[in-house]
Amino acid sequence: MRQSRFLVVLIGLSLAGCVTSRLEDDREKVTGLNEDQSVVIMTKSYHSGNETEGDYLTCIEKALESGSKGINVVPHQEFVDQLFPWFEPRTAPADTKGLPALMGRPGVSKAIEDMGVRYVVWLDGDTERVAEGGSLSCAAGPGGGGCFGFAWWQNDADYEAAVWDMVGRESAGTVSADVSGTSFLPALVVPIPLIARTQTRACKGLAQQLRAFIVQ
Amino acid sequence: MIDRLRFASLAGLAAILMAGCSSTVTMEMPTIPEPRIEKIPVDVAVRIPAEFENFVHVEEVLGKSTWTIDLGRSNANFFTQLFGHMFDSVVVLGPEDDPRDYQFDALIEPEIEGFEFATPEQSQSDAFAVWIRYRMSIFDSVGNRASSWTVNAYGKAQKEELGGGDSLKRAAILAMRDAAALIIMQMEKVTNIRQLADGPLAPAPEDTETLQADAEHDSEAPASVIGIFAIGGIDDAAE
Repeated sequence: MRQSRFLVVLIGLSLAGCVTSRLEDDREKVTGLNEDQSVVIMTKSYHSGNETEGDYLTCIEKALESGSKGINVVPHQEFVDQLFPWFEPRTAPADTKGLPALMGRPGVSKAIEDMGVRYVVWLDGDTERVAEGGSLSCAAGPGGGGCFGFAWWQNDADYEAAVWDMVGRESAGTVSADVSGTSFLPALVVPIPLIARTQTRACKGLAQQLRAFIVQ
Repeated sequence: MIDRLRFASLAGLAAILMAGCSSTVTMEMPTIPEPRIEKIPVDVAVRIPAEFENFVHVEEVLGKSTWTIDLGRSNANFFTQLFGHMFDSVVVLGPEDDPRDYQFDALIEPEIEGFEFATPEQSQSDAFAVWIRYRMSIFDSVGNRASSWTVNAYGKAQKEELGGGDSLKRAAILAMRDAAALIIMQMEKVTNIRQLADGPLAPAPEDTETLQADAEHDSEAPASVIGIFAIGGIDDAAE
């Protein structure tokens, strides 16, 4: 029983591709979060060419909330709806210079205060396939089928999170994650995928760094 | 009997293959959240054109598939909600209603001038994109045209499921919200609609109905026509 568990873990570990990651932060202000305060995670506008994936945003939200050191996160759609139309892709402020004017609009400051939002985090970046190679072919016939060959691909996940302090109405700093992962797919009759979970690693790493940055 | 079975199975297979080449998406009613704005103190009437009752757009991806998007009454619902949030009072008129039977400061006639979308296959990306071009014609209480304004809206949603129908719907809803945001931010400034609360711009034209019909089909832009075309921001030069 113990041996089979050990085998499953060993296979699990061996089936992962290679991943390298670099996490950095650049602090501009002292931060901190009270128990009754929360953060909201947003993606920068697609109007300006940003292509941050929706599932990456959801992953960051869940990762920040989870665990014993989890922090309060207001779902981004709830925040956007509550402040309609000031956080739509077209109208959202591009930098903190626009915050005083935005907070002066009817009901905006009160709505943000009611939701307890202390920090707005703006995600920028995406995961891209930057290289691939090898060849793999599969065939099937009456007697069975199989694959033969070797394929590989490299994904780069490059994300930056800009943290805005809504109380101080200023930028608190940025946190970034640069993760590169290479996946392999060797096949000798049966293909064995060795997948590098690049985006997931970038999510967990950035969320961890972000939480440490905000809470200190 | 065997021939019949063979024909039926072939017909079934052909139907499945043909269905695989076309997709139909039916829009749900969009919800426009109540905006954080002060209402404009103008009593408006909104004339919903007949095309808003059942708007269907078909797009063929060359050599690949046909996409049909059925917007149904979503545009009628969208403008009713939006103007209800924006103005002090709103009367909704159907295509057959005569505006002269109603009291208002301004009459707004929205129409769709263009609707386009791009699938991930076309754009070589992971996202669906939708563009909607609305024309907003505004008249005073006696039928003089006060303004005509083109609103270009854009929505983009990543393909997250097989087929992509839900992603296309999301992109269309985002385009409508984009239009709503632009109308809320710019309408007063661009169309001067607030001044219509002080009374009509000029005495009633001789034939109000003709003027309104002209507004729907006018190919020459009048002097008051102001266009905003912006993907990625508001064209401030148009203000």
